[in-house]
Amino acid sequence: MSDAPIVFEQVEKGFSGRAVLDKVSFSVARGEALCILGRSGTGKSVTLKLMIGLLQADNGKVLVCNEDMAALDEDGLMKVRRKMGYLFQSAALFDSFTVAENLALPLHRLDRNKSPDEIKRKVDEGLREVGLEKDGQKLPSALSGGMQKRAGLARALVLQPEILLVDEPASGLDRITASEIDDLLIKVKKERQTTMVIVTHDIHGARKIADKFAVLDQGRLLAFGTPEELDSRNDQWLQQFIAER
Amino acid sequence: MLKSAFDSIGRVTLFGAQALRDACVPPFEGEYLLKQFYEIGVGSFLLIVASGFALGVVMTLHTRSTLVQFGAEAEIPVFQSLAFFNELGPLVAALLMAGRVGAGIGAQLANMRATEQIDAIETLSVDSFKLLVVTRVIACTVMLPLLTIFMDAAGILGGFVSENVASHLGWTLYMQRAFDGVALADFIPPTLKTAVFGYLIATISCFYGYTTNEGSDGVRKAATNSVVISSLVVILADVILVKCIFFLFPDQAI
Repeated sequence: MSDAPIVFEQVEKGFSGRAVLDKVSFSVARGEALCILGRSGTGKSVTLKLMIGLLQADNGKVLVCNEDMAALDEDGLMKVRRKMGYLFQSAALFDSFTVAENLALPLHRLDRNKSPDEIKRKVDEGLREVGLEKDGQKLPSALSGGMQKRAGLARALVLQPEILLVDEPASGLDRITASEIDDLLIKVKKERQTTMVIVTHDIHGARKIADKFAVLDQGRLLAFGTPEELDSRNDQWLQQFIAER
Repeated sequence: MLKSAFDSIGRVTLFGAQALRDACVPPFEGEYLLKQFYEIGVGSFLLIVASGFALGVVMTLHTRSTLVQFGAEAEIPVFQSLAFFNELGPLVAALLMAGRVGAGIGAQLANMRATEQIDAIETLSVDSFKLLVVTRVIACTVMLPLLTIFMDAAGILGGFVSENVASHLGWTLYMQRAFDGVALADFIPPTLKTAVFGYLIATISCFYGYTTNEGSDGVRKAATNSVVISSLVVILADVILVKCIFFLFPDQAI
């Protein structure tokens, strides 16, 4: 039994005959933040979707909290997912629900004994944490891109997950708003010791948050280690991904 | 082509069977189901009533010109009620629902798939199939018979207005003639068959919306397929169900 909440063992995944991940192995220790870097289409988002069981590996093992994701049935998958939060690139808020209803949905479903007052208190707490306490009754379409990301983050955190998966937190946001999202992620990591896996192109943000970097290229894990370890490598190709511009 | 058609039929059938099975297994999404009842039922009410009324007026105008030639205009109310109870009400209500609700369901679910909202539901440990599909299937199955009753009523009312303008026939006499010789078997089985139509419309529309993975083009295809296929299936199912009703209630076939 490994203590690492996320373990990839020789994972392979392809679509329509094209290999997207090719024998990728790594692990993420408890409370650690891993940033996955790489060019577009190198399998970064696929890696996150394998972790949460939205996709299944063709070969190899994806272990989350010591559970083999491929071996789990629907109920087992749901139990593991309760320990995880996922912030989508587009935030993926339910557009027919208000922001508060977006947060309340998992609370209602996962504990049907919770009173409406208790759920409201949790929702308010979650919205306050991301600075959206006045926007709970708005529909997602009435929010800016940055506010949608924050609402998505609040929804991902509302069940107090042990593991947070974040897909491109800075995409489509200006530098200042992206920095605000990074600060929120750092706060969550510090206060809750949440294990994080973040897919990003934003090396500035990645350097603020990450304990480790994983660099993917053409489906292969090209480099894995702390920022300092990777900085010390004399590899020009690697440096274009991890050097701050 | 033929293989693909059979493949689609098989997949829709399994999808519909899963919806039926999951509808019987807790947890039940009561709050979301009520929302669907409202959106599907209340949202379609005006369309159904207005269409039924207009159809009732037009039907009477047509039958009047024919029946007058045989001196049988007194039969207009009962023609009207039998036509609406047996076929017009159920079929037109179902086709209207396929157009309004089917397209809406197909487009909405396909958009949710394209924008990763369905994936987001799954990541929150919520069963997206139960939340999105089962609730819509139940809502359509329950609401269509109720809407059909309103369509029948609006059609008969439209017929009365048309008759009243043409011959000054009074309300009481019109209603007496409309229900003279109409048995419960003329009303209940055809109304109940719309529950099957509602189930088919919702299942087909949900299938095309929920299973698409082609982005915005998938939304277009899902909306189109939902309307076209569910309308066609409703008409084909009507043939079978009418035969079943005639078999179970032989008096209806005479």
